[in-house]
Amino acid sequence: MMRRDNQARTVLWRSVGWSGLLLLLLVTPLLASSFGAAQIGVFDVAQLLWHHLVDAEQSSSINARIIWELRLPRVLLAFTAGAGLALSGFVLQSVTRNPLADPYLFGISSGASFGAVLVVTLAGTSVVAGLSLPTGAFLGACLSVLLVLSLSGQRVTTQVERMLLSGVAVSFMFGALTSLLLYFSSPLAAQSLLFWTMGSFAQAKWAELWLPMGIVAIALALVIGQKRQLLAMQGGDETAHTLGVRVVKLRLLMLLLCSLITATLVAHCGGIGFVGLMVPHVVRLLVPQRQSIMLTALVGGLFMVWVDVLARSALPTQELPVGVITSALGSVFFLFVLRKRGQ
Amino acid sequence: MNPVLRAEQLSWHADGKQILNDVSFLLQPGKMLGLIGPNGAGKSSLLRCLYRYVQPDSGKILLNNKEIKSIDHKTFAQMVAVVLQDTPTEMHSTVQQIVATGLTPYKGLFQGNNKEDNDAIQSALCQVGLADKADASFSHLSGGEKQRALIARAIVQRPSLLILDEPTNHLDIRYQIQILELVRSLGITVVTSIHDLNLASALCDELLLLADGRCVAAGSADEVLTEARISQVFGVCCQVAKHPQHGKPLIHYYYGYTAAEHRGEIANDAP
Repeated sequence: MMRRDNQARTVLWRSVGWSGLLLLLLVTPLLASSFGAAQIGVFDVAQLLWHHLVDAEQSSSINARIIWELRLPRVLLAFTAGAGLALSGFVLQSVTRNPLADPYLFGISSGASFGAVLVVTLAGTSVVAGLSLPTGAFLGACLSVLLVLSLSGQRVTTQVERMLLSGVAVSFMFGALTSLLLYFSSPLAAQSLLFWTMGSFAQAKWAELWLPMGIVAIALALVIGQKRQLLAMQGGDETAHTLGVRVVKLRLLMLLLCSLITATLVAHCGGIGFVGLMVPHVVRLLVPQRQSIMLTALVGGLFMVWVDVLARSALPTQELPVGVITSALGSVFFLFVLRKRGQ
Repeated sequence: MNPVLRAEQLSWHADGKQILNDVSFLLQPGKMLGLIGPNGAGKSSLLRCLYRYVQPDSGKILLNNKEIKSIDHKTFAQMVAVVLQDTPTEMHSTVQQIVATGLTPYKGLFQGNNKEDNDAIQSALCQVGLADKADASFSHLSGGEKQRALIARAIVQRPSLLILDEPTNHLDIRYQIQILELVRSLGITVVTSIHDLNLASALCDELLLLADGRCVAAGSADEVLTEARISQVFGVCCQVAKHPQHGKPLIHYYYGYTAAEHRGEIANDAP
């Protein structure tokens, strides 16, 4: 009887939680779009969007263009980035069984910085002719992943350690190369590195949004499809093997998937640290014992949108880089997790 | 009757060291085989060969008359369930979720648990006496409860062979007996490695004694556990008596080896 009561209560809380989250998901784009240099009320935002979507009416007022062309793609990109990073973090923490694993673990971020800086430094020479910054960043990220993969090997027993260690090594290697390039290059290159290490959603455009959104959505579906296998992997490679999971294959697949997400995101909005590390832990602390992949992704997305709002509106005249805020919050959180683990 | 499991001349080496050397045995359905032997004798390696975590260099293993190499991943996991010694400390899942992973070999992509699955999980939890801990976090369980949860997962897996690696390690004596009697009560064919010889004698149908990767003796407890063999393989002196309750061998050990070694009375391998 008591068990049934408990169950009823759990179901109730679960539905309250999900409805709250749904409401937040609906309200957040409106609220988040109303913040920024130009003061536009929430209701104006709602009205403008309604006109745009339902009446298909191309309003040419300044406010309409600010909302539709600048803020809304920005909010969507932030949401996509947050969801993708949180998803990658969850997956990597599961398949490496390392609570400190994060999407940048495999040197993706430093590879991307290197690619971007290389494109800027060599701009105008024939080697990189026609390569855009995001493409350079994407290629750099892919290069680092390939390096880590080729170093991590096929043996179940040593795969995880080798992966983690080679990730660290590759990360440092690209860091050194980037510093070297910067040392000999122009202030312009230095500025672009700043962007790639700190992240920003300021360059969000409708035309480029489909790629990150599509990749994150597909990856989310793939990961949710493999949830059983991922949970089995949390019990150890050997246990997962005895449950019929092809451990090495699944881990490589998941690593590739996370790399693809992260490389795409880094190419579009720079390296935003700590979200992938932090959000899965926060969700675990808030909703222990659920292990919901969907929830992790949604919370990551919402968190990122609001961090971006903070970045836009914290200072009156200037935008803060998103990565600064996430890293500041993240490092404090990191210490908090360590403290909790120590107890 | 056809044996469930038949191992023929298994050999395996790692890092230039011969770990298993020409091990053969067979196991009839419903029987419980205890794998005994000193540390480093190759017990875990033999088990790993049986659940295909490592490939033996030579020899073959037949499960229900089928060579296990030829069975595909999922089907094999439906036939063989394994309870391992070490579980990661960082397990966020609830007991119920852990038990549910036993269904992994039966499920494809996106397939959730249906009512039958949930009933199976519930009844497995009842069988191991953890029904009230279903929603508890796995990492908060005691050692004995963790083992029982893992056995519940194995029950959900509906195997024809259950393999356990030192299931009684780190448990107090009450739980040691409880776990092994629980495993016996399942009616599945079982292979388990055990350190405690008296426990193995009392609860296993058959014993296989390994030393340096070789099978030294196999058969009933009476046949395997003799004074001479124990002192030869384990390097301790003992007296084997009959257990007052079940009549199987009961081993009394003798003590005082350090002092004896100091005086040079005992050579490296005891008589």
